[in-house]
Amino acid sequence: MTVHDTERTSASPGLDGSLTNALIGTRRFFTPSQRISADNREVHKVGGRSGDSFYRDRWSHDKVVRSTHGVNCTGSCSWKVFVKDGIITWEAQETDYPSTGPDRPEYEPRGCPRGASFSWYTYSPTRVRYPYVRASLINLFREAKAAAPGHDPVLAWGSIVEDPEKAKLYKSQRGKGGLVRATWDEAVEMVAAAYVYTVKEYGPDRTVGFSPIPAMSQVSFSSGARFHQLIGGAMLSFYDWYADLPPASPQVFGDQTDVPESGDWWDAAYLIMWGSNVPQTRTPDAHWMTEARYRGQKVIAVAPDYAENVKFADEWLAPHPGTDAALAMAMGHTILREFFVETTTPYFDAYTKQYTDLPFLVALERNDDGALVPGKFVVASDPDSGATPERGTEHADFKPMMFDTATSAPVVPPGTLGHRFSDDGVGRWNLELGEIDPALSLYDHRDDVAEVLLPRFDTAGQGGRGDAVRGVPVRRLGDRLVTTVFDLLLAEYNVSRPGLPGDWAAGYDDAGALYTPAWQETVTGVPGEAAARIGREFAQNAVDSKGRSMIIMGAGTNHWFHSDTIYRTFLTLTTLCGTQGVNGGGWAHYVGQEKVRPISGWLHLANALDWSRPPRQMTQTTYWYMHTDQWRYDQFGADTLAATTGQGNLAGTTVADAVALSQRLGWQPYYPQFDISSLDVADRAQAAGQETVPYLVDALKNGEINFAAEDPDASNNYPRIWSIWRANTLGSSAKGDQYFFRHLLGVDDAVTAEETPPEFRPRDVKWRDEAPVGKVDLVLTLDFRMTTHTMHSDVILPASTWYEKHDLSTTDMHPFIHSFNPAISNPWQSRTDWETWSTIAKKFSELAKTHLGTRKDVVAFPLQHDTPGEMATPHGRVRDWKRGECEAVPGLTMPTLVEVERDYTAIHDKYTTIGPLLENLGMTTKGVTFDVKSYVERLRHLNGVARSGAGAGQPRMDTDLHACEYILNLSGTTNGHMATMGFQTLEKRTGMHLHDLAAENEGKQVSFADTQNAPVPVITSPEWSGSETGGRRYSPFTINVERKKPWHTLTGRQHFYLDHDWMLELGEGLPVFRPPLDMTALFGEVPLGQTHDPGDNGHAGISVRYLTPHNKWAIHSMYMENFFMMNLSRGGQTIWMSVEDAEAVGIADNDWIEAVNRNGVVAARAVVSHRMPRGTAFMHHAQDRTVNVPLTQRDGKRGGIHNSLTRIMIKPTHLVGGYGQLSFAFNYYGPTGNQRDEVTVIRKRSAPVEY
Amino acid sequence: MNNATTLEILVWVVLPYVVLTIFVLGHLWRFRYDRFGWTTRSSQIYESKLLSIGSPLFHYGIIGIFFGHVVGLGIPKSWTEAIGLREEWYHLMAVTIGLAAAAACVGGLLILIYRRRTNSRVFGATTPGDKLMYLVLAATIGFGVLATIAHSALGHYDYREGVSVWFRDFWTFQPNPALMSEAPIFFQLHILSALALFAIWPFTRLVHVFATPLGYLTRPYIVYRSKDEKTSAPRRGWEKIDY
Repeated sequence: MTVHDTERTSASPGLDGSLTNALIGTRRFFTPSQRISADNREVHKVGGRSGDSFYRDRWSHDKVVRSTHGVNCTGSCSWKVFVKDGIITWEAQETDYPSTGPDRPEYEPRGCPRGASFSWYTYSPTRVRYPYVRASLINLFREAKAAAPGHDPVLAWGSIVEDPEKAKLYKSQRGKGGLVRATWDEAVEMVAAAYVYTVKEYGPDRTVGFSPIPAMSQVSFSSGARFHQLIGGAMLSFYDWYADLPPASPQVFGDQTDVPESGDWWDAAYLIMWGSNVPQTRTPDAHWMTEARYRGQKVIAVAPDYAENVKFADEWLAPHPGTDAALAMAMGHTILREFFVETTTPYFDAYTKQYTDLPFLVALERNDDGALVPGKFVVASDPDSGATPERGTEHADFKPMMFDTATSAPVVPPGTLGHRFSDDGVGRWNLELGEIDPALSLYDHRDDVAEVLLPRFDTAGQGGRGDAVRGVPVRRLGDRLVTTVFDLLLAEYNVSRPGLPGDWAAGYDDAGALYTPAWQETVTGVPGEAAARIGREFAQNAVDSKGRSMIIMGAGTNHWFHSDTIYRTFLTLTTLCGTQGVNGGGWAHYVGQEKVRPISGWLHLANALDWSRPPRQMTQTTYWYMHTDQWRYDQFGADTLAATTGQGNLAGTTVADAVALSQRLGWQPYYPQFDISSLDVADRAQAAGQETVPYLVDALKNGEINFAAEDPDASNNYPRIWSIWRANTLGSSAKGDQYFFRHLLGVDDAVTAEETPPEFRPRDVKWRDEAPVGKVDLVLTLDFRMTTHTMHSDVILPASTWYEKHDLSTTDMHPFIHSFNPAISNPWQSRTDWETWSTIAKKFSELAKTHLGTRKDVVAFPLQHDTPGEMATPHGRVRDWKRGECEAVPGLTMPTLVEVERDYTAIHDKYTTIGPLLENLGMTTKGVTFDVKSYVERLRHLNGVARSGAGAGQPRMDTDLHACEYILNLSGTTNGHMATMGFQTLEKRTGMHLHDLAAENEGKQVSFADTQNAPVPVITSPEWSGSETGGRRYSPFTINVERKKPWHTLTGRQHFYLDHDWMLELGEGLPVFRPPLDMTALFGEVPLGQTHDPGDNGHAGISVRYLTPHNKWAIHSMYMENFFMMNLSRGGQTIWMSVEDAEAVGIADNDWIEAVNRNGVVAARAVVSHRMPRGTAFMHHAQDRTVNVPLTQRDGKRGGIHNSLTRIMIKPTHLVGGYGQLSFAFNYYGPTGNQRDEVTVIRKRSAPVEY
Repeated sequence: MNNATTLEILVWVVLPYVVLTIFVLGHLWRFRYDRFGWTTRSSQIYESKLLSIGSPLFHYGIIGIFFGHVVGLGIPKSWTEAIGLREEWYHLMAVTIGLAAAAACVGGLLILIYRRRTNSRVFGATTPGDKLMYLVLAATIGFGVLATIAHSALGHYDYREGVSVWFRDFWTFQPNPALMSEAPIFFQLHILSALALFAIWPFTRLVHVFATPLGYLTRPYIVYRSKDEKTSAPRRGWEKIDY
């Protein structure tokens, strides 16, 4: 301490020096009216506070309303919306999340700059304030209505759309302005007339509705969905279409996606962020990442670019884009060698035996060349499977077997799919092994060894297919050789054991041997040493912490064509290390993932399952692949993707053929269903004097009626009405949006791709020389923004923003449910989605009186996951009834065919009441049926009872508030009694103790008022696989692991091996590395990295990998044209490039550029940044083209969006259905709209920028 | 005065009073309606290195020039002669001190203009009003320097018998336009540009001159402000009710 300091601290209170003291001492002289304290430290003034009122007024407000941000913000943060003088002024984060308990961080604070700027939209220039119709259309309609008999609007609509000239007149104007205001009455009349006309003329399944991601505004989603299901229209999926669905999850877990809440990141001791940019895309949850690091967590970031999340990482691995699986395979190679072969790890050994399919037996089959390849699971019904008591029991085809070392014989363990629905499975559908001691490997129990042929795809290009010879220990079963999945996995991962034949890796540094760390370095560029070490650390941490190693995985690895193979290599790491079903461990997939926590209530509300079953739901990827005619631009057959080890069962077919097959075998839904109206089937059967369904089966067999997928371009086989709410397909998610423009809308497009040459055209799907243009008659959009989609619509109805309606929001990032509430009443002429669809339903019902009445509809419903339908395909062997390979049996070898009566005059009555089926049939979610009579009775008192109409005596549902109560009262997560009862039902099947998980909350019923008060924690329910009981953090599959409840798969365990014909055909029976698609080989695009000659614009271009990751300025809660977000970013469309690529073709930062490939053209500005790796360009997704997008240099037309350079590419294995976990459910299993394999040429723009 | 032309009267008599009116009323208006805009709009956050040199240089220079003007314009020649200050000495003193201050002021201004033009962030925060103000300010200072060098230092014009007299008469409402119309050209331009500067002054950032925080020198650290003792009319809805 210095002398000076001593003096200061010991001095009496005063000023900091004599000069100051003297100066202030003069103050009394200057301002005698102000009192100066004796010590010269204070001045006391009087008055002069009138300026205060400005600051007080700035933050004063009249009310604060709780709401949140809808559609797809998985943050699901609760917000305070401030209202002043009737105007929404600003918003602030709510802080009242329930506590996570002592000794861990809280969910509060939650929010991000995007959410904080939403209130701009309420009064923004892009707000849709009134109903709009394109002038050319409304004029036609007015004229036609005046001319129609009785001024009938339905006849008027028909006279427009059936007249090619009139139809072309308004369709060709889409997207070119010309919108004029209409009244609600007139707009709704036209929409309702179009619906009635289409249902009457073409059938209800020619109408299609789309709204994405229900979890973050469940009632809004349900509104239009309910309308479409009541009339028999189709609803399109979103999760798979956005390529956010990881198909590996159904394949491995038999579950759509179940992931830890972000609070569980804190529990992890070792965490890899793999292709997921947490601070950017999960901003409100990113704090957990920081906090976990303080706790000592080691963090690895895997990303090709210097992404924001890399700053969290202790180590950064930067593989080349799309090669992540090679890195994961090398890690798996290390883990299998060091933790399974060189030593046995008791924790891993016990886990994999009990919770995975590794000990299950697989028969080896001989291929055409006589070589052995992995075949099918050995099941109880196989005649050579030993003296099992399960042979001949119900569903024996679906009881796979393992090798029991106690009895030295194959044995069926409990808990398989065969036990799930059979009588003998009651009380036995569980994972208790009892006396069984399964052999993971047959190495110590082998009769012999055998060489098997395994596929590989690691060389560049589609010509890079090949195979490898590896040895496995085998036992003989009759004349078959069998081995275990584990032995095959070691062979696949190139992990040798003494005495086994075949070619094996010599060591980690054997760069020529598949899947070694050194080999992966040649593929990914990641040092082999780092790959091996991090794999080892991941496993060792799992050993030390009993499974608390986690991988957060995201779009960077999931949006690829071969995403499922990439993810399966990750899931191999988490599953081998016993991390799944453990808090702080396992996979954490965060890509557009969402969680409708009150799933049962929402499911039944949205699909109108209280009035009619089954619903019509369709995978959107397949829908647009066919209906926008992108299939007509394929340049290769389906077998291009097959492995050399396959049996050739895709030879001679195309992807479109596979789609048609998936419809007729009932694997996947497809709408429209038939080449006739689904309303005409019953009439025809009656005319023929037959029962409807048998008549239909015969007619389908003899070709009198055909499935629509077999001739998608026939004028009666494509959609006529496309309605969207809460979405912007044409400005955002439409992969290949230029194909949409050409074929669906009939407007200008920028496609230069060639149509399929004759040799690659489909075998079963009819090729028409002239593809239709402008297929769809009505595009209807409900929105509050003028987006690209809105501007291409025929009718636009003004919608409420998220601060103007009642709704519910949940997410998987946190375990709370909370509400949307209107801060102001709907401004201008906007209405809530619930009200709008109610209005349309009312007019529809009215017009239906003369045109439709009551009709019999036949719904073709695919074989559904979590139902006995998933046992339609024994051994996963494909049999096509149309080729005479089996009988055509509805619900077994073809779709389930259900006759449904539809009273079209009662659509509004049904929309606004809760139907009787809930009480009569109960509610079924994921295979668990709930008796809900008493809850429906409670809703009668809560919502009131309808006095008249089709819903007389039923609970009312006039308003969105009523719909919220429907969801809350009829879901296990919000109704404790229902959850407890569901667990009791499940206890009977599993024989395991479960209902205590919900019993602590049995008396709890979450009401809408509760959700308005504060976010409410949900209740543990059989609807999900994890537990929140006792306030623990949610982690998926903890019920499976802790309570021995099987996964919803063939073996009841987590699957490494998939033995369906098509999986084996593509060489994907086991995890495998497949590189990104080679667009040069497939479509003749300029090879990656190659510069392209200066074309007409005088500038050379460079071919780069074209990625469309999440947008920092516009994701989830916010869109790109928001004024504040544009101020923070550059505004307008940009493409990020590496410094090297930009230099190679003379592009400087902020230059105008053009990106071109066969699918379209994008006009944007370049962001040249060292963040980017060479050879890769980013165009952040959903920038839309409403702001600052000029005409392109190439075409002189408006530049495209990020998806103008992509197109739909369907992987045939995603179409598989009717087999265990590989069965359809909405957003559960179906083709993904992947888009990352694409390449584009980027060049500098030389033409002046014009708009 | 009788032989002054109409133009001379307009320029050297009417115009200055118009400018004075604009200056006074302009500040009142600005204070009344734009009190939150009474600011220099500091650009220090965008660039501080050049500013830390240019700004003090300019400001100390301009303050020196201000006091030079006070003396030169405000003190009649007779007063300095009365105390025995010889004309040569006065002249030498005025020119040397004045030019030193002018050098600092012009040097500072050049740095500030250079900074404002070359730093894109500062330039981005520059309004059209700023640009006009810089132009007029630079012109005023430039003509002032030229007048001093060309007419006072090298020439033989004694402003104390011309411009200064006109200036003092202006405040007694008896300005003689002839004194100005006979003044050398750079003095005339200096005065005209100064008039332009005073005219735009209230509408530019120059208002900060009247917000110089001199009071901080003598202000105690803690300021308490009690409510106004005068009872104003109660807010609407909060009036007392006489039962």
